[in-house]
Amino acid sequence: MASNPAASLRLALCGLALVVPALSAAAESPGEWLQRMSNAVQTTDYEGTVIRLSNGRVEALKVVHAVSDGVVRERLIAQEGSGLEIIRNGNEVHCILPEQQSVLVEEWNDQSTLFSTLPSNSVRFGSEYDVSIVREDRVAGRKTVLIAIRPHDEYRFGHRIWLDTATGFPLQTRLIDEAGAALQEVKFADISLGREILASALKPSYSTENFTWFTQPGRKVTPIVDSDWQNDRLPTGFRMLSAQQEVLPDSKQAVVHLLYSDGLASVSVFIAEHDGKSYTERSSIGPSNSYSTVIGAFRVTAVGNVPAQTVEQIASSMVLR
Amino acid sequence: MNEAIKMQLSAFVDGELPENEAELLLRRLSQDAELRQQISEYLAIGRVMRGEPQVSGIDTLRDRIAVALEDPDYPLEMGDDVSPPRNRMIRPLTGIAVAASVALIAVFGLGQVGIDETTVEPTGVAVTEPNVDDVLEEMRRTHELTASPEAIDTRLTGFDVPEAAASTEPEDEEDDVDDAEDPAIDTPAE
Repeated sequence: MASNPAASLRLALCGLALVVPALSAAAESPGEWLQRMSNAVQTTDYEGTVIRLSNGRVEALKVVHAVSDGVVRERLIAQEGSGLEIIRNGNEVHCILPEQQSVLVEEWNDQSTLFSTLPSNSVRFGSEYDVSIVREDRVAGRKTVLIAIRPHDEYRFGHRIWLDTATGFPLQTRLIDEAGAALQEVKFADISLGREILASALKPSYSTENFTWFTQPGRKVTPIVDSDWQNDRLPTGFRMLSAQQEVLPDSKQAVVHLLYSDGLASVSVFIAEHDGKSYTERSSIGPSNSYSTVIGAFRVTAVGNVPAQTVEQIASSMVLR
Repeated sequence: MNEAIKMQLSAFVDGELPENEAELLLRRLSQDAELRQQISEYLAIGRVMRGEPQVSGIDTLRDRIAVALEDPDYPLEMGDDVSPPRNRMIRPLTGIAVAASVALIAVFGLGQVGIDETTVEPTGVAVTEPNVDDVLEEMRRTHELTASPEAIDTRLTGFDVPEAAASTEPEDEEDDVDDAEDPAIDTPAE
């Protein structure tokens, strides 16, 4: 390339300028960064504007999030459309539809609303992925370090996570498909981290006194100790984490629900007696894919935030002992 | 529960009840489980009617009842939760899994689950026409509620999971996904 010494020196200096800031981010291992991230997500109060992209559609949300004694209180306000608001208090969530004068009430688990696809604090996703520090960057006006989680095969998605250098808080997350395209992205345009959240900021904008309130029927779940269903052709790293019998609340359909995971990606398999109806074989919503097939007298459906071929392989290789 | 008790209670949670009256109130509460239950519901209704996520002074009240009862584990049922208003009929949502799925709205976005201004009419009648069948949407919702990172983590406890290969060496930027796919969402490199 550069044949004269001056040009070589300039190139070398340019390279040094690129490498030095990156090395400061590498002071901690990727695993330590993810641990910091998990702690930050669970404990940080924040307020800001989020841009979310999924399937080519972009939406902006205001978010206010506070944690007190381990209880999450959160308010999400859609900045477009009818001004829908989601108010969360612990495990109970109210979705306010102002134009319909309705409130939907739903019980959630402990998942974080914006970061449901991020790894938990134990980082148990095993050898199916590589984790690395890519570079330093800037998001929402703050210095970040970009962490990449890359799968070794095409059975799971990759992640890019921009962590605030000062706090470890994820300021941007991106889910990446097998071809390298962004499937889903959550990114703060601006954010205040660690500032005290006033109670008034967590109140809904609307008086819901005269709204109609709706709630989902609760789930009825019975654990299965020894499932009759098994799968010997799971993609590497996936294992069954739970088996239960449950009745889906709306359809009243009794199903066997098996949960598989590689520690980061997860797939649910639902098995019901085949009722002869025609079901959608394949579907997708953002990063969520499903595949449904008939095995003997049963309809087997696999659903998860994994590539289409993963749900297809898992569903079609279920075997009744 | 009479009006005098209600006024005393309001004054207490506002920190305005004289201490001697507070003692009397707490003594009465410690001796009357039914009254405690009525007060719990009264506070929860008031809180919801005012649209407040919580009522200041509740913790103090609960703590002092716990002391009066000599029960450090006195249940947290004094309006701290956000249960639907108890004075209002809560209708079950049936047959409109997509519309009801707050979890999917939050996780995938408004546009991803077919919920928009026409999803639920004021009467609660669903007019949504999901592009996949309702049972499948129920499964999707059930999966999202079941497979949180924390739940996965808990269930993996005990499994022998090999560690992910980790590299602390900064990578060549060119190796990363293209940052310039969509300028509306990507951060320009500085």
